[in-house]
Amino acid sequence: MSAPLILAVPAKGRLQQNAENFFARSGLDLVKPRGPRDYRGAIAGFDGVEIAFLSAAEITAQLGQGAVHLGVTGEDLAREMIPEADREVVFIDQLGFGFANVAVAVPQAWIDVRNMADLDDVATSFRLKHDRKMRLATKYANLTRGFFADHGVVDYRIVESSGATEAAPAAGIAELIVDITTTGSTLAANGLKVIDDGIILRSQANLVAARTAAWDAAQRETARLLLDRIAAQKRAHSYREVRTRFAGLNEAMLKTAREKFGVAAPFGGPTSSGMLTLHCPPKYVHALASFLREHGAEAVSVAALDYVYARDNPLYARLTAELERDRAAPKL
Amino acid sequence: MSSMATNSDLRAQKLISSYVRAGYGLIDPPVVQPAEPFLDLSGEDIRRRMFLTSDPHGRELCLRPDLTIPVSREYLASPAAGKAASYCYLGAVFRHREGLAAEFLQAGIESFARADKAAADAEMLALGLEATTLYELSSPEIRIGDVGLFSAFVAALDLPPPWKRRLVKDFNRKWSLAHDLDQLALSGAHGPPEYHGVLAALAGSDPKAAHHLVTDLLSIAGIEAVGGRSVAEIAERFLEQAALGTGTRLPKEIRALIERFLAVRGDPDDAIGELRTLAADAKISLGPALDLFETRTGFLAARGVDVRTLQFATAFGRGFDYYTGFVFELHDARANGPLIAGGRYDGLLTRLGAREPIPAVGFAASIEDLAACGAKP
Repeated sequence: MSAPLILAVPAKGRLQQNAENFFARSGLDLVKPRGPRDYRGAIAGFDGVEIAFLSAAEITAQLGQGAVHLGVTGEDLAREMIPEADREVVFIDQLGFGFANVAVAVPQAWIDVRNMADLDDVATSFRLKHDRKMRLATKYANLTRGFFADHGVVDYRIVESSGATEAAPAAGIAELIVDITTTGSTLAANGLKVIDDGIILRSQANLVAARTAAWDAAQRETARLLLDRIAAQKRAHSYREVRTRFAGLNEAMLKTAREKFGVAAPFGGPTSSGMLTLHCPPKYVHALASFLREHGAEAVSVAALDYVYARDNPLYARLTAELERDRAAPKL
Repeated sequence: MSSMATNSDLRAQKLISSYVRAGYGLIDPPVVQPAEPFLDLSGEDIRRRMFLTSDPHGRELCLRPDLTIPVSREYLASPAAGKAASYCYLGAVFRHREGLAAEFLQAGIESFARADKAAADAEMLALGLEATTLYELSSPEIRIGDVGLFSAFVAALDLPPPWKRRLVKDFNRKWSLAHDLDQLALSGAHGPPEYHGVLAALAGSDPKAAHHLVTDLLSIAGIEAVGGRSVAEIAERFLEQAALGTGTRLPKEIRALIERFLAVRGDPDDAIGELRTLAADAKISLGPALDLFETRTGFLAARGVDVRTLQFATAFGRGFDYYTGFVFELHDARANGPLIAGGRYDGLLTRLGAREPIPAVGFAASIEDLAACGAKP
């Protein structure tokens, strides 16, 4: 038997809970057969996968080195820790949790600074006036450098921060910061504000694949099965099943429903008796039910879906396309 | 230097000996340097090309990515600080370079506190050419520029101070500079500011009143000033913005003038003629900057440099913020970057802690590029 596919998931905190829930929704229960303190696990009833429970930073580092195949990590960490991240990893899917914005924040007292252009001017004035550069505290040195370079801001110095970055200006360690923020209340409590065009990255947890991991045939097949389940769950989550039957139901009506409500008819058009199963985006379910009844339906049932498997597997298709591209054009 | 034990070393040694004979003291600063000055002077962008580490106290250290800053620091720490002194060096520098060795040899010269700037500038280029001669590169392409000309030009323009700051800052970033001109031509500010009413009310008032107003605003809002900018500084810039107004635009004719200035290129004699005409047309004075340029060209000719072969461009700036005057690069088509590059950096030593400004000029030669492009020994 070949080596297992290694999937790295966060080992603690809210991120772990969210990640486990995410996999559980796809029927993938992460288990620790050797006890809760073990840092290696498996998926119940699903062979060929080894789960590595790691810290978010370790997951990102291991993805960058190709030491694990897949991992759950924040886009912010991946883009910060892996130089030219898109060359080393594939962002397969956004997972809908772990939201955080990486943003530039300045003291609220800087009422003359609204946007990056103001900041650029203030940075240069500061250097000319104080004969030193403005200090910026952050854990995100690489993201900051890229963003500031794009905005032509050069007169600043990065002070690496490992602890409470938002306290750095009040502590006199830095003039401004780049940090993650969800609601901005921590920043406000520290007398800081996010500037208008200062959002560097809108980040969330991603399922990420390492391009440089060893992807043998068995591991690819395991990834295909894994991603098939995730895709089926994702597809199921974005639709409700709508069923009805009435004599007047025809192709023309279906066409209108497609255009107005974005429905799909996974099992084809209405049967001879007018029986139809539709998949409808949740926000249009009620409008669709009204539409069908206006056209003669006696009853319309709407149900949640657990999985919707289709012939295609977009997540796996994305992964293989990227891996094949690497093989066709190897990196230097 | 271990990997460089080839015959090219002999020529590098010979080069250094000739610099020593010309009166430049051989200096060898430590390989491990504090990282701070490099990051502060070269910008954050250099960080990812540097080899960084830290000492047990958490201070950031690096392997020297160049020798200009280490030599300047040695000079400032020596009894010669503030007095005229000239040094030469031959040593390894360390930078992450895609597809190339991270350790490579540089030879170079740094000359401090010489009052005769034009002569010192010319001497640097002449000594650089000595290196190419030694490696039997008969006619390297010589590109020269003068950052001081652009500063003098911008200073002479009738523009609000914030715009001048921005243009001078972005001189080394061509994309930014073009972008600036577009932005300023569109409208002075970047959309109406949030405090438009307050700014308008402040227009024309005096700094003291503005300071009071800003202090009041902050205390009403219950905001404490944090970080290194004082309320006075915030008020000052607030006032500056008010004076600028939101409707102010970069006048078309000034934009055209800037573009005309930046398009000047050719040999130094032709260029100086063009610049004098431009100054006369625009009724501005480029004064001492132009005179320095002309004198320097004279010294270059006196040192046997054929000035008609020099490729001067007003827009040429080497991309480093610490140059303040003459800049030059010697190129060979076979090399990726310049073989030799240098210039004047009069502001650097104060940034490194000197109390008084100390003029400084120097250059560095890439030994491996010289050896690769030159005649085989």
